[in-house]
Amino acid sequence: MKQSIISTALFIQDILPALLRASGVTVKLTLYSIILGIVIGTGIALMRISRNKVLSGLGTAYVTVLRGTPLMVQILIVYFALPQLGLRLDKFSSAVVALGINASAYIAEIIRAAIESIDPGQMEAARSLGMSYGLAMRRIIIPQTYRRLLPPLGNEFIAMLKDTSLIAFIGGEELTRAGQHIISATFRPWPVYITVAAIYLCMTALFSLFVQLGERKLLQ
Amino acid sequence: MREIPMVELRGVCKSFGNLQVLKDINLRVAKGEVVSIIGPSGSGKSTLLRCVNYLERPDSGTVSIAGNPVPEDENALNKARAKVGMVFQHFNLFPHMTALENVMEGPVQVKKMPKHEAKELALSLLSKVGLADKADAYPRRLSGGQKQRVAIARALAMQPDVMLFDEATSALDPELIGEVLQVMRDLAAEGMTMLVVTHEIGFAREVSDRIVVLADGQIVEEGRPEKLLSAPKHQRTREFLAKILPARA
Ligand SMILES: Nc1ncnc2c1ncn2[C@@H]1O[C@H](COP(=O)(O)OP(=O)(O)OP(=O)(O)O)[C@@H](O)[C@H]1O
Ligand SMILES: [Mg+2]
Repeated sequence: MKQSIISTALFIQDILPALLRASGVTVKLTLYSIILGIVIGTGIALMRISRNKVLSGLGTAYVTVLRGTPLMVQILIVYFALPQLGLRLDKFSSAVVALGINASAYIAEIIRAAIESIDPGQMEAARSLGMSYGLAMRRIIIPQTYRRLLPPLGNEFIAMLKDTSLIAFIGGEELTRAGQHIISATFRPWPVYITVAAIYLCMTALFSLFVQLGERKLLQ
Repeated sequence: MREIPMVELRGVCKSFGNLQVLKDINLRVAKGEVVSIIGPSGSGKSTLLRCVNYLERPDSGTVSIAGNPVPEDENALNKARAKVGMVFQHFNLFPHMTALENVMEGPVQVKKMPKHEAKELALSLLSKVGLADKADAYPRRLSGGQKQRVAIARALAMQPDVMLFDEATSALDPELIGEVLQVMRDLAAEGMTMLVVTHEIGFAREVSDRIVVLADGQIVEEGRPEKLLSAPKHQRTREFLAKILPARA
Protein backbone atom coordinates (compact mmCIF):
# COMPACT_ATOMS: atom_id res chain seq x y z
CA MET A 1 0.00 0.00 0.00
CA LYS A 2 2.62 2.46 1.14
CA GLN A 3 4.79 1.45 -1.75
CA SER A 4 2.09 2.08 -4.29
CA ILE A 5 1.50 5.60 -2.90
CA ILE A 6 5.15 6.38 -3.21
CA SER A 7 5.39 5.00 -6.72
CA THR A 8 2.32 7.03 -7.74
CA ALA A 9 3.82 10.16 -6.28
CA LEU A 10 7.03 9.58 -8.17
CA PHE A 11 5.07 8.92 -11.33
CA ILE A 12 3.16 12.20 -10.95
CA GLN A 13 6.42 14.00 -10.36
CA ASP A 14 7.69 12.56 -13.61
CA ILE A 15 4.73 13.58 -15.74
CA LEU A 16 4.17 17.00 -14.13
CA PRO A 17 6.63 19.00 -16.29
CA ALA A 18 4.98 17.83 -19.52
CA LEU A 19 1.51 18.56 -18.18
CA LEU A 20 2.50 22.00 -16.93
CA ARG A 21 3.99 22.82 -20.32
CA ALA A 22 0.71 21.80 -21.91
CA SER A 23 -1.28 23.96 -19.48
CA GLY A 24 0.67 26.91 -20.88
CA VAL A 25 -1.01 26.12 -24.21
CA THR A 26 -4.37 25.86 -22.45
CA VAL A 27 -3.95 29.30 -20.89
CA LYS A 28 -2.83 30.81 -24.19
CA LEU A 29 -5.75 29.20 -25.98
CA THR A 30 -8.15 30.59 -23.38
CA LEU A 31 -6.68 34.07 -23.46
CA TYR A 32 -6.68 34.43 -27.24
CA SER A 33 -10.18 32.99 -27.53
CA ILE A 34 -11.55 35.36 -24.91
CA ILE A 35 -9.90 38.34 -26.60
CA LEU A 36 -11.36 37.31 -29.95
CA GLY A 37 -14.69 36.76 -28.17
CA ILE A 38 -14.63 40.25 -26.66
CA VAL A 39 -13.81 41.91 -29.98
CA ILE A 40 -16.54 40.09 -31.92
CA GLY A 41 -18.92 40.13 -28.95
CA THR A 42 -18.73 43.92 -28.63
CA GLY A 43 -19.69 44.28 -32.28
CA ILE A 44 -22.56 41.82 -31.93
CA ALA A 45 -23.79 43.56 -28.75
CA LEU A 46 -23.84 46.94 -30.55
CA MET A 47 -25.74 45.32 -33.42
CA ARG A 48 -28.29 43.82 -31.04
CA ILE A 49 -29.09 47.16 -29.38
CA SER A 50 -29.12 49.03 -32.69
CA ARG A 51 -32.38 50.64 -33.77
CA ASN A 52 -31.69 49.26 -37.24
CA LYS A 53 -33.96 46.20 -37.48
CA VAL A 54 -31.72 44.34 -39.95
CA LEU A 55 -28.63 44.78 -37.78
CA SER A 56 -30.35 43.78 -34.56
CA GLY A 57 -31.99 40.82 -36.32
CA LEU A 58 -28.63 39.60 -37.59
CA GLY A 59 -27.15 39.99 -34.12
CA THR A 60 -29.97 38.02 -32.55
CA ALA A 61 -29.64 35.25 -35.15
CA TYR A 62 -25.90 35.02 -34.53
CA VAL A 63 -26.37 34.65 -30.78
CA THR A 64 -29.24 32.18 -31.14
CA VAL A 65 -27.34 29.86 -33.47
CA LEU A 66 -24.14 29.83 -31.43
CA ARG A 67 -25.84 29.35 -28.10
CA GLY A 68 -28.20 26.76 -29.52
CA THR A 69 -25.61 24.34 -30.88
CA PRO A 70 -22.96 22.28 -29.03
CA LEU A 71 -19.51 23.76 -28.78
CA MET A 72 -18.03 20.38 -29.79
CA VAL A 73 -19.96 20.49 -33.05
CA GLN A 74 -18.85 24.08 -33.65
CA ILE A 75 -15.24 23.07 -33.12
CA LEU A 76 -15.57 20.20 -35.60
CA ILE A 77 -17.28 22.45 -38.14
CA VAL A 78 -14.54 25.05 -37.93
CA TYR A 79 -11.83 22.40 -38.05
CA PHE A 80 -13.22 20.46 -40.98
CA ALA A 81 -15.20 23.13 -42.83
CA LEU A 82 -12.69 25.97 -42.99
CA PRO A 83 -10.18 24.01 -45.13
CA GLN A 84 -13.05 23.29 -47.56
CA LEU A 85 -13.46 27.05 -47.92
CA GLY A 86 -9.78 27.29 -48.72
CA LEU A 87 -8.82 28.56 -45.24
CA ARG A 88 -5.93 26.44 -43.98
CA LEU A 89 -5.34 27.13 -40.30
CA ASP A 90 -3.12 25.22 -37.92
CA LYS A 91 -4.79 23.38 -35.05
CA PHE A 92 -4.12 26.14 -32.53
CA SER A 93 -5.56 28.88 -34.75
CA SER A 94 -8.66 26.95 -35.70
CA ALA A 95 -9.20 26.18 -32.02
CA VAL A 96 -8.97 29.91 -31.20
CA VAL A 97 -11.41 30.71 -34.01
CA ALA A 98 -13.93 28.10 -32.86
CA LEU A 99 -13.70 28.91 -29.14
CA GLY A 100 -13.57 32.68 -29.78
CA ILE A 101 -16.65 32.68 -31.99
CA ASN A 102 -18.51 30.55 -29.49
CA ALA A 103 -17.52 32.83 -26.61
CA SER A 104 -18.48 35.93 -28.60
CA ALA A 105 -22.15 34.95 -28.47
CA TYR A 106 -22.13 34.70 -24.68
CA ILE A 107 -19.96 37.79 -24.31
CA ALA A 108 -22.27 39.75 -26.62
CA GLU A 109 -25.13 39.04 -24.23
CA ILE A 110 -23.01 40.02 -21.24
CA ILE A 111 -22.07 43.34 -22.88
CA ARG A 112 -25.60 44.01 -24.05
CA ALA A 113 -26.99 43.45 -20.56
CA ALA A 114 -24.34 45.76 -19.10
CA ILE A 115 -25.10 48.52 -21.61
CA GLU A 116 -28.83 48.20 -21.03
CA SER A 117 -28.33 48.45 -17.28
CA ILE A 118 -26.91 51.98 -17.64
CA ASP A 119 -29.45 54.69 -16.83
CA PRO A 120 -30.90 56.01 -20.14
CA GLY A 121 -30.44 59.50 -18.67
CA GLN A 122 -26.72 59.08 -19.33
CA MET A 123 -27.26 58.77 -23.07
CA GLU A 124 -29.68 61.72 -23.00
CA ALA A 125 -27.23 63.91 -21.13
CA ALA A 126 -24.49 62.99 -23.61
CA ARG A 127 -26.70 63.63 -26.62
CA SER A 128 -27.88 66.95 -25.17
CA LEU A 129 -24.24 68.08 -25.19
CA GLY A 130 -24.23 67.46 -28.93
CA MET A 131 -22.46 64.11 -28.88
CA SER A 132 -23.21 61.64 -31.66
CA TYR A 133 -24.56 58.22 -30.70
CA GLY A 134 -21.19 56.61 -31.33
CA LEU A 135 -19.24 59.18 -29.34
CA ALA A 136 -21.71 58.93 -26.45
CA MET A 137 -21.33 55.15 -26.47
CA ARG A 138 -17.56 55.33 -26.51
CA ARG A 139 -17.05 58.14 -23.99
CA ILE A 140 -20.02 57.81 -21.64
CA ILE A 141 -21.85 54.47 -21.81
CA ILE A 142 -19.19 51.81 -22.46
CA PRO A 143 -16.75 53.05 -19.78
CA GLN A 144 -19.52 52.76 -17.20
CA THR A 145 -20.02 49.08 -18.06
CA TYR A 146 -16.47 47.98 -17.21
CA ARG A 147 -17.14 47.35 -13.55
CA ARG A 148 -20.30 45.39 -14.32
CA LEU A 149 -18.52 43.41 -17.02
CA LEU A 150 -15.67 42.09 -14.93
CA PRO A 151 -17.50 39.41 -12.88
CA PRO A 152 -19.44 37.82 -15.79
CA LEU A 153 -16.40 38.03 -18.08
CA GLY A 154 -14.36 36.33 -15.35
CA ASN A 155 -16.92 33.51 -15.28
CA GLU A 156 -16.73 33.29 -19.04
CA PHE A 157 -12.94 33.03 -18.84
CA ILE A 158 -13.16 30.17 -16.34
CA ALA A 159 -15.76 28.34 -18.41
CA MET A 160 -13.54 28.79 -21.45
CA LEU A 161 -10.49 27.50 -19.62
CA LYS A 162 -12.36 24.25 -19.04
CA ASP A 163 -13.91 24.16 -22.51
CA THR A 164 -10.49 24.24 -24.13
CA SER A 165 -10.23 20.54 -23.15
CA LEU A 166 -12.60 19.81 -26.05
CA ILE A 167 -9.78 20.84 -28.35
CA ALA A 168 -8.10 17.54 -27.48
CA PHE A 169 -10.59 15.87 -29.82
CA ILE A 170 -9.15 17.62 -32.86
CA GLY A 171 -5.65 16.85 -31.63
CA GLY A 172 -4.79 20.25 -30.16
CA GLU A 173 -1.79 19.82 -27.86
CA GLU A 174 -3.30 21.30 -24.71
CA LEU A 175 -3.51 19.92 -21.18
CA THR A 176 -6.09 17.16 -21.65
CA ARG A 177 -4.44 15.93 -24.84
CA ALA A 178 -1.04 15.87 -23.15
CA GLY A 179 -2.59 13.68 -20.45
CA GLN A 180 -3.96 11.31 -23.09
CA HIS A 181 -0.50 11.02 -24.65
CA ILE A 182 1.02 10.05 -21.33
CA ILE A 183 -1.74 7.51 -20.69
CA SER A 184 -1.24 5.81 -24.06
CA ALA A 185 2.45 5.45 -23.22
CA THR A 186 2.10 4.38 -19.57
CA PHE A 187 -1.39 2.82 -19.30
CA ARG A 188 -2.00 4.56 -15.97
CA PRO A 189 -5.15 6.61 -16.63
CA TRP A 190 -6.34 7.60 -13.21
CA PRO A 191 -3.25 9.29 -11.69
CA VAL A 192 -2.86 11.18 -14.94
CA TYR A 193 -6.46 12.35 -15.14
CA ILE A 194 -6.46 13.27 -11.44
CA THR A 195 -3.34 15.36 -11.98
CA VAL A 196 -4.85 16.97 -15.07
CA ALA A 197 -8.03 17.80 -13.13
CA ALA A 198 -5.97 19.23 -10.26
CA ILE A 199 -4.09 21.50 -12.64
CA TYR A 200 -7.38 22.79 -14.14
CA LEU A 201 -8.66 23.41 -10.63
CA CYS A 202 -5.53 25.34 -9.63
CA MET A 203 -5.80 27.49 -12.74
CA THR A 204 -9.50 28.31 -12.30
CA ALA A 205 -9.04 29.00 -8.58
CA LEU A 206 -6.09 31.25 -9.25
CA PHE A 207 -8.00 33.11 -11.92
CA SER A 208 -11.07 33.54 -9.69
CA LEU A 209 -8.77 35.16 -7.19
CA PHE A 210 -7.46 37.59 -9.83
CA VAL A 211 -11.01 38.53 -10.78
CA GLN A 212 -11.93 39.17 -7.16
CA LEU A 213 -8.87 41.35 -6.65
CA GLY A 214 -9.63 43.22 -9.87
CA GLU A 215 -13.20 43.77 -8.78
CA ARG A 216 -12.13 45.17 -5.46
CA LYS A 217 -9.77 47.50 -7.26
CA LEU A 218 -12.51 48.71 -9.62
CA LEU A 219 -14.93 49.22 -6.74
CA GLN A 220 -12.63 51.66 -5.01
CA MET B 1 -40.09 94.01 -37.94
CA ARG B 2 -40.26 91.61 -35.01
CA GLU B 3 -37.12 90.14 -33.64
CA ILE B 4 -36.49 86.48 -34.50
CA PRO B 5 -37.44 84.41 -31.44
CA MET B 6 -34.69 82.32 -29.85
CA VAL B 7 -37.02 79.34 -29.60
CA GLU B 8 -40.10 78.88 -31.68
CA LEU B 9 -42.46 75.91 -31.69
CA ARG B 10 -45.11 75.84 -34.36
CA GLY B 11 -47.91 73.32 -34.35
CA VAL B 12 -45.86 70.74 -32.50
CA CYS B 13 -47.70 67.45 -31.95
CA LYS B 14 -46.34 64.33 -30.30
CA SER B 15 -47.95 60.99 -29.49
CA PHE B 16 -46.72 57.90 -27.72
CA GLY B 17 -48.78 55.09 -29.21
CA ASN B 18 -52.41 56.10 -28.78
CA LEU B 19 -51.61 58.73 -26.21
CA GLN B 20 -51.43 62.21 -27.68
CA VAL B 21 -49.08 64.02 -25.33
CA LEU B 22 -48.64 67.33 -27.18
CA LYS B 23 -51.48 68.84 -29.16
CA ASP B 24 -50.57 71.67 -31.49
CA ILE B 25 -48.12 73.54 -29.29
CA ASN B 26 -47.23 77.07 -30.40
CA LEU B 27 -44.67 78.90 -28.34
CA ARG B 28 -42.19 81.70 -28.93
CA VAL B 29 -39.39 82.57 -26.56
CA ALA B 30 -37.50 85.79 -27.21
CA LYS B 31 -33.76 86.15 -26.72
CA GLY B 32 -33.05 86.67 -23.03
CA GLU B 33 -36.56 85.75 -22.02
CA VAL B 34 -37.24 83.38 -19.14
CA VAL B 35 -40.36 81.29 -19.59
CA SER B 36 -41.65 78.95 -16.91
CA ILE B 37 -43.82 76.00 -17.84
CA ILE B 38 -46.16 74.74 -15.17
CA GLY B 39 -48.94 72.20 -15.19
CA PRO B 40 -50.15 68.96 -13.69
CA SER B 41 -48.12 65.77 -13.79
CA GLY B 42 -48.41 64.01 -17.13
CA SER B 43 -49.51 67.15 -18.96
CA GLY B 44 -46.54 66.91 -21.33
CA LYS B 45 -44.09 69.44 -19.85
CA SER B 46 -41.05 67.19 -20.11
CA THR B 47 -42.04 66.05 -23.58
CA LEU B 48 -42.36 69.67 -24.71
CA LEU B 49 -38.91 70.49 -23.39
CA ARG B 50 -37.42 67.38 -24.95
CA CYS B 51 -38.94 68.31 -28.28
CA VAL B 52 -37.02 71.60 -28.21
CA ASN B 53 -33.69 69.77 -28.60
CA TYR B 54 -35.16 66.79 -30.41
CA LEU B 55 -34.40 64.28 -27.69
CA GLU B 56 -37.99 63.56 -28.66
CA ARG B 57 -38.84 63.99 -32.32
CA PRO B 58 -42.17 65.77 -32.86
CA ASP B 59 -44.66 63.89 -35.06
CA SER B 60 -45.52 67.13 -36.80
CA GLY B 61 -44.85 70.83 -36.51
CA THR B 62 -41.54 72.66 -36.46
CA VAL B 63 -39.05 73.71 -33.83
CA SER B 64 -36.66 76.54 -34.60
CA ILE B 65 -33.69 77.75 -32.61
CA ALA B 66 -32.63 81.30 -33.40
CA GLY B 67 -34.63 81.13 -36.60
CA ASN B 68 -33.07 77.88 -37.79
CA PRO B 69 -35.37 74.87 -37.97
CA VAL B 70 -33.97 71.91 -36.05
CA PRO B 71 -32.46 69.76 -38.81
CA GLU B 72 -33.35 66.13 -39.51
CA ASP B 73 -29.88 65.14 -40.58
CA GLU B 74 -27.98 63.46 -37.71
CA ASN B 75 -24.78 65.47 -37.98
CA ALA B 76 -26.55 68.79 -38.24
CA LEU B 77 -28.85 67.77 -35.40
CA ASN B 78 -25.88 67.05 -33.15
CA LYS B 79 -24.52 70.52 -33.91
CA ALA B 80 -27.90 72.08 -33.18
CA ARG B 81 -28.20 70.20 -29.86
CA ALA B 82 -24.83 71.51 -28.79
CA LYS B 83 -26.34 75.01 -28.75
CA VAL B 84 -29.20 74.00 -26.46
CA GLY B 85 -28.23 73.25 -22.87
CA MET B 86 -30.34 70.87 -20.85
CA VAL B 87 -30.54 70.28 -17.11
CA PHE B 88 -32.31 67.16 -15.88
CA GLN B 89 -34.27 66.38 -12.76
CA HIS B 90 -31.86 63.59 -11.83
CA PHE B 91 -28.71 65.53 -12.83
CA ASN B 92 -27.38 62.73 -15.06
CA LEU B 93 -23.79 63.60 -14.29
CA PHE B 94 -21.25 61.17 -15.73
CA PRO B 95 -20.30 59.10 -12.67
CA HIS B 96 -16.94 57.96 -14.04
CA MET B 97 -15.67 61.52 -14.37
CA THR B 98 -14.82 64.20 -11.84
CA ALA B 99 -16.83 67.41 -11.69
CA LEU B 100 -14.15 69.11 -13.76
CA GLU B 101 -14.10 66.32 -16.35
CA ASN B 102 -17.89 66.40 -16.55
CA VAL B 103 -17.77 70.08 -17.46
CA MET B 104 -14.82 69.67 -19.86
CA GLU B 105 -16.33 66.70 -21.69
CA GLY B 106 -18.59 68.65 -24.06
CA PRO B 107 -16.07 71.31 -25.10
CA VAL B 108 -13.25 68.77 -25.58
CA GLN B 109 -15.18 65.98 -27.32
CA VAL B 110 -17.79 67.95 -29.24
CA LYS B 111 -16.18 71.31 -29.86
CA LYS B 112 -12.64 69.87 -30.06
CA MET B 113 -11.44 72.61 -27.73
CA PRO B 114 -7.81 72.14 -26.59
CA LYS B 115 -7.70 70.53 -23.15
CA HIS B 116 -5.99 73.39 -21.31
CA GLU B 117 -8.49 75.86 -22.70
CA ALA B 118 -11.43 73.61 -21.74
CA LYS B 119 -9.98 73.20 -18.27
CA GLU B 120 -9.79 76.94 -17.79
CA LEU B 121 -13.35 77.33 -19.02
CA ALA B 122 -14.58 74.51 -16.79
CA LEU B 123 -12.82 75.91 -13.72
CA SER B 124 -14.32 79.34 -14.27
CA LEU B 125 -17.80 77.81 -14.67
CA LEU B 126 -17.37 75.71 -11.54
CA SER B 127 -16.45 78.78 -9.55
CA LYS B 128 -19.39 80.60 -11.08
CA VAL B 129 -21.71 77.96 -9.58
CA GLY B 130 -19.74 78.08 -6.33
CA LEU B 131 -17.95 74.74 -6.67
CA ALA B 132 -14.36 75.63 -7.50
CA ASP B 133 -13.21 73.52 -4.55
CA LYS B 134 -15.07 70.44 -5.82
CA ALA B 135 -13.39 70.29 -9.23
CA ASP B 136 -11.70 66.97 -8.50
CA ALA B 137 -14.61 65.33 -6.71
CA TYR B 138 -16.54 62.49 -8.31
CA PRO B 139 -20.32 62.94 -8.46
CA ARG B 140 -20.97 60.32 -5.78
CA ARG B 141 -19.12 62.54 -3.31
CA LEU B 142 -21.37 65.54 -4.04
CA SER B 143 -24.69 66.50 -2.50
CA GLY B 144 -27.75 66.73 -4.74
CA GLY B 145 -27.52 70.50 -4.89
CA GLN B 146 -23.84 70.35 -5.78
CA LYS B 147 -24.51 67.74 -8.46
CA GLN B 148 -27.15 69.91 -10.05
CA ARG B 149 -24.85 72.93 -10.04
CA VAL B 150 -22.14 70.87 -11.76
CA ALA B 151 -24.77 69.76 -14.28
CA ILE B 152 -25.64 73.40 -14.96
CA ALA B 153 -21.95 74.21 -15.41
CA ARG B 154 -21.63 71.25 -17.78
CA ALA B 155 -24.47 72.57 -19.93
CA LEU B 156 -23.10 76.12 -19.85
CA ALA B 157 -19.69 74.90 -21.01
CA MET B 158 -21.14 74.43 -24.49
CA GLN B 159 -22.01 78.15 -24.49
CA PRO B 160 -25.60 77.44 -25.41
CA ASP B 161 -28.08 79.92 -26.84
CA VAL B 162 -30.86 78.48 -24.70
CA MET B 163 -31.01 76.57 -21.43
CA LEU B 164 -33.74 74.04 -20.72
CA PHE B 165 -34.46 73.06 -17.12
CA ASP B 166 -36.68 70.05 -16.44
CA GLU B 167 -37.69 70.18 -12.78
CA ALA B 168 -34.10 70.90 -11.84
CA THR B 169 -34.91 71.08 -8.13
CA SER B 170 -37.58 68.36 -7.76
CA ALA B 171 -35.18 65.65 -6.69
CA LEU B 172 -33.46 67.82 -4.08
CA ASP B 173 -33.85 67.95 -0.33
CA PRO B 174 -35.66 71.18 0.56
CA GLU B 175 -32.59 72.76 2.12
CA LEU B 176 -30.62 72.28 -1.11
CA ILE B 177 -33.15 73.82 -3.48
CA GLY B 178 -32.12 77.38 -2.73
CA GLU B 179 -28.54 77.06 -3.95
CA VAL B 180 -29.66 75.72 -7.32
CA LEU B 181 -32.39 78.33 -7.74
CA GLN B 182 -29.79 81.01 -6.97
CA VAL B 183 -27.60 79.81 -9.82
CA MET B 184 -30.61 79.84 -12.14
CA ARG B 185 -31.56 83.33 -10.94
CA ASP B 186 -28.03 84.59 -11.69
CA LEU B 187 -28.19 83.03 -15.11
CA ALA B 188 -31.49 84.73 -15.86
CA ALA B 189 -30.08 88.05 -14.70
CA GLU B 190 -27.19 87.64 -17.13
CA GLY B 191 -29.67 87.48 -19.97
CA MET B 192 -29.70 83.74 -20.69
CA THR B 193 -32.73 82.54 -22.60
CA MET B 194 -34.37 79.95 -20.38
CA LEU B 195 -37.23 77.51 -20.61
CA VAL B 196 -37.96 76.22 -17.14
CA VAL B 197 -40.32 73.41 -16.17
CA THR B 198 -40.87 73.85 -12.46
CA HIS B 199 -43.11 73.30 -9.49
CA GLU B 200 -41.43 76.20 -7.71
CA ILE B 201 -44.16 78.78 -8.16
CA GLY B 202 -42.24 81.31 -6.09
CA PHE B 203 -39.30 81.03 -8.43
CA ALA B 204 -41.53 81.19 -11.49
CA ARG B 205 -43.18 84.33 -10.16
CA GLU B 206 -39.98 86.08 -9.24
CA VAL B 207 -37.70 85.17 -12.14
CA SER B 208 -39.76 84.43 -15.22
CA ASP B 209 -40.98 86.96 -17.72
CA ARG B 210 -43.84 84.71 -18.66
CA ILE B 211 -45.56 81.61 -17.33
CA VAL B 212 -47.07 79.02 -19.63
CA VAL B 213 -49.67 76.61 -18.27
CA LEU B 214 -49.80 73.21 -19.88
CA ALA B 215 -52.73 70.85 -19.33
CA ASP B 216 -53.47 67.68 -21.29
CA GLY B 217 -50.86 68.54 -23.88
CA GLN B 218 -52.20 71.99 -24.63
CA ILE B 219 -51.16 75.46 -23.60
CA VAL B 220 -54.29 76.57 -21.81
CA GLU B 221 -53.01 79.92 -20.62
CA GLU B 222 -49.93 82.11 -20.66
CA GLY B 223 -49.06 85.51 -19.32
CA ARG B 224 -46.97 87.62 -17.02
CA PRO B 225 -46.48 85.83 -13.70
CA GLU B 226 -48.08 88.34 -11.37
CA LYS B 227 -51.14 88.51 -13.58
CA LEU B 228 -51.48 84.83 -14.31
CA LEU B 229 -50.91 83.75 -10.73
CA SER B 230 -53.22 86.29 -9.10
CA ALA B 231 -55.99 86.18 -11.67
CA PRO B 232 -55.85 82.92 -13.60
CA LYS B 233 -58.37 82.89 -16.42
CA HIS B 234 -58.60 79.24 -17.25
CA GLN B 235 -60.34 76.67 -15.11
CA ARG B 236 -57.44 74.21 -15.47
CA THR B 237 -54.99 76.86 -14.22
CA ARG B 238 -57.15 77.58 -11.20
CA GLU B 239 -57.44 73.91 -10.36
CA PHE B 240 -53.70 73.38 -10.71
CA LEU B 241 -52.76 76.44 -8.66
CA ALA B 242 -55.25 75.52 -5.96
CA LYS B 243 -53.54 72.17 -5.65
CA ILE B 244 -49.97 73.38 -5.32
CA LEU B 245 -50.35 76.72 -3.56
CA PRO B 246 -51.14 76.82 0.13
CA ALA B 247 -54.75 77.86 0.66
CA ARG B 248 -55.09 81.62 0.80
CA ALA B 249 -57.45 83.40 3.13
N1 LIG C 1 -41.14 57.64 -23.99
C1 LIG C 1 -42.43 57.55 -23.65
N2 LIG C 1 -43.17 56.49 -24.02
C2 LIG C 1 -44.48 56.41 -23.70
N3 LIG C 1 -45.15 57.31 -23.00
C3 LIG C 1 -44.47 58.41 -22.58
C4 LIG C 1 -43.09 58.58 -22.89
N4 LIG C 1 -42.67 59.75 -22.34
C5 LIG C 1 -43.76 60.28 -21.74
N5 LIG C 1 -44.84 59.50 -21.88
C6 LIG C 1 -46.20 59.77 -21.39
O1 LIG C 1 -46.56 61.04 -21.86
C7 LIG C 1 -47.30 61.77 -20.88
C8 LIG C 1 -46.63 63.11 -20.65
O2 LIG C 1 -45.36 62.86 -20.07
P1 LIG C 1 -44.40 64.04 -19.61
O3 LIG C 1 -43.24 63.38 -18.99
O4 LIG C 1 -44.16 64.95 -20.75
O5 LIG C 1 -45.28 64.77 -18.53
P2 LIG C 1 -44.85 65.87 -17.47
O6 LIG C 1 -45.78 66.97 -17.62
O7 LIG C 1 -43.41 66.17 -17.60
O8 LIG C 1 -45.14 65.13 -16.11
P3 LIG C 1 -44.34 65.21 -14.71
O9 LIG C 1 -44.76 66.47 -14.04
O10 LIG C 1 -44.82 64.00 -13.97
O11 LIG C 1 -42.88 65.15 -15.02
C9 LIG C 1 -47.36 60.88 -19.66
O12 LIG C 1 -48.61 60.24 -19.65
C10 LIG C 1 -46.25 59.88 -19.88
O13 LIG C 1 -46.58 58.65 -19.29
MG1 LIG D 1 -41.72 65.76 -16.40
